[in-house]
Amino acid sequence: MKNSEIGRIWHWQITAIVGVVLFIVLLLGVSFGPISLDFQQIIRTLLGLSGGLQDEEKALFLQLRLPRVLLAALVGAALATSGAVYQTVFRNPLADPYLLGAAAGAGLGATIALAGGRSSFYAALPLFAFIGAALAVAATFVISGRSYADPAMLLLSGIAIGSFATAVQTYLQQRNSEVLRPVYSWILGQLTVADWQVVKWASFYIILALSVLIRMSRQLDGLLLSDEEAFSLGISPNKVRIIAIGAATLATATAVSASGLIGFVGIVVPHLVRGITKRATNRALFTVALFGAAFLVLADLGARTLLSPAELPIGVITAFVGAPFLLFVLRAKRVLK
Amino acid sequence: MITIKNLSLRYGDFYALNQITLDIPRGSWSCLVGPNGAGKTTFLKTMLGNKPYDGSISIDGIEVYKNLRNVAFVPQRPEIPAGMNVAEYVMLGRARLDGWGRDSNSSRKYAMEILEEMQLVAMRRQLVTQLSGGEMQRVLIARALVQEAELMILDEPTSALDLHHQISTLDHIERAQKNGTTIVSTMHDITLGAMYAERIIIMQQGRVLLDGQAREVIHSQELKMAFDDGITIHTLENGRPVIVANKATASL
Amino acid sequence: MFKSHLRAVTFAILAIVFASVLVSPAQAAGTKYPLTIKFGDYTTKLVKKPTRIISLSPSATEIFYAIGAKSQILAVDSLSNYPTGAPISKISAYEPNVEAILQLKPDLVLLSSDSVKAPQIRSALIKLGVAVLMEKAPATLNDVYAENTALGKVTDRASGAAKLNASMAKSIKNILLKAKTSIKVRIFHELDETYYSATSNTFIGKVYKDFGAINVADAALGADSSGYPQLSAEYLLKSDPQVVFLADAQYGTTIESVSKRAGWPQMSAVVAQKIVALPADIPSRWGPRLVDFYKLIGSTLGTVTN
Repeated sequence: MKNSEIGRIWHWQITAIVGVVLFIVLLLGVSFGPISLDFQQIIRTLLGLSGGLQDEEKALFLQLRLPRVLLAALVGAALATSGAVYQTVFRNPLADPYLLGAAAGAGLGATIALAGGRSSFYAALPLFAFIGAALAVAATFVISGRSYADPAMLLLSGIAIGSFATAVQTYLQQRNSEVLRPVYSWILGQLTVADWQVVKWASFYIILALSVLIRMSRQLDGLLLSDEEAFSLGISPNKVRIIAIGAATLATATAVSASGLIGFVGIVVPHLVRGITKRATNRALFTVALFGAAFLVLADLGARTLLSPAELPIGVITAFVGAPFLLFVLRAKRVLK
Repeated sequence: MITIKNLSLRYGDFYALNQITLDIPRGSWSCLVGPNGAGKTTFLKTMLGNKPYDGSISIDGIEVYKNLRNVAFVPQRPEIPAGMNVAEYVMLGRARLDGWGRDSNSSRKYAMEILEEMQLVAMRRQLVTQLSGGEMQRVLIARALVQEAELMILDEPTSALDLHHQISTLDHIERAQKNGTTIVSTMHDITLGAMYAERIIIMQQGRVLLDGQAREVIHSQELKMAFDDGITIHTLENGRPVIVANKATASL
Repeated sequence: MFKSHLRAVTFAILAIVFASVLVSPAQAAGTKYPLTIKFGDYTTKLVKKPTRIISLSPSATEIFYAIGAKSQILAVDSLSNYPTGAPISKISAYEPNVEAILQLKPDLVLLSSDSVKAPQIRSALIKLGVAVLMEKAPATLNDVYAENTALGKVTDRASGAAKLNASMAKSIKNILLKAKTSIKVRIFHELDETYYSATSNTFIGKVYKDFGAINVADAALGADSSGYPQLSAEYLLKSDPQVVFLADAQYGTTIESVSKRAGWPQMSAVVAQKIVALPADIPSRWGPRLVDFYKLIGSTLGTVTN
């Protein structure tokens, strides 16, 4: 028994288990759907061996299933990790990645894109949603003035910006009523037609943002202490907050522009990981990312199969799972105190 | 080491710190004493450099404002995080030295040594929210000690500890001082402070009334003045001073 | 003697051929495949004649059947209830599921550009080897004829399409002639109980306009870019429509309930009992039954005495 040094602080076994779960879920995700594919053939196709999927099934797998499942994993990881980081920065277990007006800004961007009328606007919807989310968060910082690094102030500013963006969106919807249905669909979140192009740029930004956040996990832990304590440990609290919020917003905005507004992932997954490990520090971020990926791939599987051939909006599934879960967490406050 | 010139901190018309000028030599242990509201905690926190101030505080010639030096800080009222255990909490003190990356083996060894010295090994996997006041205070000092900092700032570091732990903890800090660390602390128990600190700084209403060698400051008029003549200084046979507060009515 | 008979017979044959060529409707040539056709904003490429068509638009379904392509239809969307007997599936026209479509192995999918993620669904289907014809909701009557023609060309039923266009045009023309469009009747087309309406900028609005009717919603032409503004109750009463068409009758609004609304009993339409409960599909489809819609409006407007 090694008593001469502090043992490993993080339960790496849990991370490994979550990783395995993710792999299994990914496999389930690519094989189930209105058209079922065989596990063995899928693996053979991936490894480039003979005896894999053929023709239409192969095309379906490579062009539709695989990008969709990968996108679900990326978006799930992005939202869960951003949620965990926001919960640290705002020291609030109910914080979610849409807090600083990102959701409302993205919704406004999407509405502008759809109301633009020309089909070229429609194709640029992800870009508009991304810019909307980013601008909303930036506006939150701007109107916070000199208290730009004060979590309480940012929260209030975020509410103000979010309300304003929603109001503008509602006005635009009233003036362009044909936009109502598509915007509503988008708000509920959908991964329906993901292609490799979306996966490419989404993975670039999301992996970049998550790498930054995971690299910062010790400094993020410092934010759990008072500002003076953090400073004495070598952490500049304001700088860390801004970089953390920036990276988390990048991940969130990318996720939202790729898949619409999928709620509850950012709140529920960090709590689930906390419940399993009984710890709430930022060493968990990588595990949270893996867990979030698995969570959303499963939810997307449900969206695809529960009401087949109709598709349930994925936001409905995460809400169905997330809402009662949240109630459960709030009652079992042991983990938090 | 620390040069303070005309340090002031204002909140509107209220001066929390008022024109403080003094020097703190490297490797010394200075103890701030004074009544509640004198500004001792404010002074300590200002020395960290996190918040703006008027005047100058410099360490080896470099202004401390927003200067992230290796300073160990033991607050009087820490922000106790949820979901973190003692081992992780103490290792936060080594995070900077490990480059904010994975815990190095040397860090883990050193932290274990400190935990053993402070008799905290048994509770290293407990959440910090489950600790008693005294245990929390010792954990705070353990975190400060693992930082191997050149300056330690301690705000009431032993207020929740029993007599035995008070002495053992202060002994640890003294050992750090012998290794070259400069110590600045506040202590309500002036007797205890005088046992360890060789310099005493008397504060009242944001000002420094007197600072200098403990032997001299203890027996000064300024000390009595700071407490409105409410204290009496006795001296034991071995020369140690004991400072006692005066009770209003005659004792039995 | 024989020579004159021969000449007569030749002349008769020539005459018959000539006449039949003149009289028969524009006999469109059979479609040649592979076919590239541009319809709306999109181009469709077909390798051969499509025999496994999935129609994801109730209007298009009606058109396919009307032009005689019944045998080529594999499946239709969940709302394509006309004609009865069409192979209804559970696939939604508005939110089509690509995999469900692929499962049926179609060779042509008719997709509505109003569906969610229509461009992406089109790309995905094309990438997987299925031809897609993108349908855009028509803005004018000519657009409807153009869609009939396009669908005819694509399914090699060009003659059926031409016949449909001709009969539709003729019927509508007759209805309009009979309707005495010189009389300007004030109408209100109600979309829901909160007085959302359709202006003359919409397809439905243009149908009313063909009858020379005055659409009271036109006062709010600029309010909504797609042409469906919400009118205020006061304005509605003030404009005093002579005929009210209830497009929300399918959702439960009845003539009785409407007549009892505040201020409505004095409205000309209520007094003259000229409130029409529109049947469910007719006002929202632009296939062959568009003629029925014209007929319904014409018969109602024709009974209004100014």
